[in-house]
Amino acid sequence: MGSLTTLNLAFLIIFPVIAAGILLVIRNERVRGGFVVVMGALIILASITFGVRYIGGPGAYLSVDADWLSYLALAIDMICCLYVLLKGIQHKRVWAVVLALLQAVLVICFEVFLAHHVQITHEIYVDAFSAIMVLVIGVIGGGICIYANGYMVDFQKHEDEHNKPDRRPVFFSLMFVFLSAMFVIVLSNDMAWLLTGWEVTTVCSFALIGYTRTDEAIRNSFRQIYMNLAGGIAFSVALIILAAGVNGATPMLELDKLIASGGSVAVMLPVMLLCFAAFTKAAQMPFHTWLLGAMVAPTPTSALLHSSTMVKAGVFLLIKLAPCLGWGFNGVTVALVGGLTFLACSLLAISQSNAKRVLAYSTVANLGLIVACAGVGTAEAVWAAIFLLVFHAAAKSLLFLCVGTAEHHIGSRDIEDMDDLFDRLPRISRLMALGILCMFMAPFGMLISKWATLVSLADTGHLVLIVILAFGSAATFMFWAKWLGKVLAVSQSAHPVEKGVHRTEWFALGLMAVLALGLSITFPLVSQVSVVPYLESTFGWHLGSTISFDNLAIMAVIALFLFAIFIFQFIRPRKKPDIGIYMAGIGTDTEHREYRNSLSGVSQAGQRNWYLSKAFGEKTVTPPAYIVSIVLIAVGLGAAVLIGLGLIQTGGLL
Amino acid sequence: MSVASFIISLFGFTILAPLAGGLLAGIDRKVTARLQSRVGPPLLQPFYDVAKLWHKERWTVNNYQGFYVLMSLVFAIIAGVIFFAGGNFLLVVFILTLSTLLFVLAAYSTRSPFAEMGAEREIVQVMSYEPMVIIMSVTYYLAVGSFNTNAVLTLGRPIITYLPLVFIGLLFILTIKFRKSPFDLSYSHHAHQELVKGISTEMSGRTLALVEVTHWYENILFLGWVGIFFVWGSWLAVLLTVVALVVVYFLEIFIDNNFARVKWSAMLKWAWLVTIVCAVVNMASLNWSWLG
Repeated sequence: MGSLTTLNLAFLIIFPVIAAGILLVIRNERVRGGFVVVMGALIILASITFGVRYIGGPGAYLSVDADWLSYLALAIDMICCLYVLLKGIQHKRVWAVVLALLQAVLVICFEVFLAHHVQITHEIYVDAFSAIMVLVIGVIGGGICIYANGYMVDFQKHEDEHNKPDRRPVFFSLMFVFLSAMFVIVLSNDMAWLLTGWEVTTVCSFALIGYTRTDEAIRNSFRQIYMNLAGGIAFSVALIILAAGVNGATPMLELDKLIASGGSVAVMLPVMLLCFAAFTKAAQMPFHTWLLGAMVAPTPTSALLHSSTMVKAGVFLLIKLAPCLGWGFNGVTVALVGGLTFLACSLLAISQSNAKRVLAYSTVANLGLIVACAGVGTAEAVWAAIFLLVFHAAAKSLLFLCVGTAEHHIGSRDIEDMDDLFDRLPRISRLMALGILCMFMAPFGMLISKWATLVSLADTGHLVLIVILAFGSAATFMFWAKWLGKVLAVSQSAHPVEKGVHRTEWFALGLMAVLALGLSITFPLVSQVSVVPYLESTFGWHLGSTISFDNLAIMAVIALFLFAIFIFQFIRPRKKPDIGIYMAGIGTDTEHREYRNSLSGVSQAGQRNWYLSKAFGEKTVTPPAYIVSIVLIAVGLGAAVLIGLGLIQTGGLL
Repeated sequence: MSVASFIISLFGFTILAPLAGGLLAGIDRKVTARLQSRVGPPLLQPFYDVAKLWHKERWTVNNYQGFYVLMSLVFAIIAGVIFFAGGNFLLVVFILTLSTLLFVLAAYSTRSPFAEMGAEREIVQVMSYEPMVIIMSVTYYLAVGSFNTNAVLTLGRPIITYLPLVFIGLLFILTIKFRKSPFDLSYSHHAHQELVKGISTEMSGRTLALVEVTHWYENILFLGWVGIFFVWGSWLAVLLTVVALVVVYFLEIFIDNNFARVKWSAMLKWAWLVTIVCAVVNMASLNWSWLG
């Protein structure tokens, strides 16, 4: 580890915080705009420099000999708890106060009585997976910060009409703190530091969700904080158990040592508690409602929460812990919770017409798939999980940014209102279509990752999950295809309203589109260069036959072909249609789908998409999914307590 | 999938499949007519129809629809070529889904109420049959040990003996894929249905001709899926496969002529129920036989 690395690391973590501090005091819109763009660009560049250095490397560990950093981490933990405590008192939320106090007590107990007795060799590590995460967080997160610039100008115009105060300084500074905390999470080997990053992301998203201070925003932000504090408490308890060395385990607080212990019985309980914490963060059922509620926040927040930060912290931890999972109580619990979430949320997305809600359900579903892969725990499954994570980040941020910009220009985020988007917002709608295709269609990355998931499930004999994946994928086709259809419907009378999309928005949209498409085309290369080395070092695995290189190459060629052909198609000059659409012979104005009705008046024909809400509505699907997921988690935790604390001997069962 | 087999399949499938598919459509119409006590059109009528469509004047409601339909055909061919070249079964399934999606988008692009209705129905049809198709390819892998379709040639017995229930599930959803009544919701050839050709309402002339040809390619590919259940490393397989294909296709025609169209909800419910039962029981028995 050279000093260059230390410098690069320090830059990634400290620099966004400094930027956040400065942003708090900039009140001028133009100055802030320029500052955010420069800072965002610097973070993107820094993470690329860092990522490129480590993406194929064997990984490196770094020890930081500074006690004051641990005190700083404790202080930050306390500030987080205090903030939630004060907010809880201000809004009279008893549970927030109770949970924050409990968390504070646990962290103090941990630091005072246990943490100092455990020897920590390496506080920081860098391997190919954390390099990938740094790239995801830095490039996509940085891009979203730049996008937020233009978006928030329009947003504030709307807020001014309602005489709302301009709180954008807080908004931008929270976004940057978020990135810094995420870097801490993916680079810390000392789990106490990881917890600090974890808590900061929880509190940042709490503040971002409540940003508009409407009743709904406050209600949803508290829902988020209840669930994630519960997760944070589980995390703290896990650390206490690990540091105390219960049931004959060696006390340890380093992530690599925990992973190396390979999920032995002694660490079963803390691993399960960490998984529980990850469930809350990754919005797995029954905790998915906080992510649905999070969409009251301005769109850049949603984009950030869904694509590169927050929920990705949850699945990151699970993917790290994958070697401890696999066929055992913990692994099966995690795999089933993830699988159930994937299935239920894919079905639920069919019944939604609000674009952001569809995106939210789809995020939860895809996170479920990643969680299931982590639970399966083989190298092949982890390969799939990492690619699901990367492609989801790129495609989902593209989609959120498209929906956000479209909302400002058509005044709605309802998919039914996107009927003639193809002509009203020509470029946005094509980018949106690209994002949707990237989410579910061959030859793009998400589908290939799903394919790999399927193969790894078949190889490990997870039959229930195979059935779940088959049905969930079918539901996925349904809700994306009908949305895509609406977006690509060609109108003959609509006028473009695309002017006024800010340059920062175009930049971020372009960046995400290039990432989503570019990654799909260079997939085989990315796999060979980055993910395979990580798996080889973690699992001692040599690339098996999950998906052969030939097939990856076929997909890449098709992606390139599709891209070329669509570009060609969309730059061709538009020809006037030869004829209007078929209106059963009674059309009066086919451009507007008008026809002569039975009273000799004029009616307009319309066709809403199918939402099948009786079959797949929230009232039908959510209650059983709640019951099953709660039972699964309760059984998993119960088993972990009984077996992990040595109350029951399992013999050969594990 | 070697380069040689790919090239053979590329030419073989691309040229022979539409001939066989058109002929199959002709036989289909003939048999259907006889079932209804009619004489029926000449055997080569489907070819005459397509030729006629090809020479019609070109009228289009927008200049994207034809493009989507053409792409749909291209991907259906690619899927078929990979299948008959002995390539990856799942890859075939995914590329065929892309082809179907493009067909749906062609209908959506018109903003015609009838076409959109057809497109919605087509999407629900995809949702109904897709789980079974995915499970079929995975159980194929579980039984054979490879996703490559040419792996059956090395087997000692046909995979129908490992996957009898999966085969029944496949037959059930093939009725949807062949666009046969009672599941011909989006695109039918029975003039008495309430919406006959919903999804292709706005397609005419060459575009409609391409749709017909795509359907021929697809049908041959589906028969390939049926056939693979009866192939193993013996020359007897040819005989068995031919018999099986004839029986299966006659069964489809028979069902087509004897069942009234059902609503989407019934289709979805039945298709999923059959899929779950067949998949779970068959996979479980496969798994137990491994353990034993």
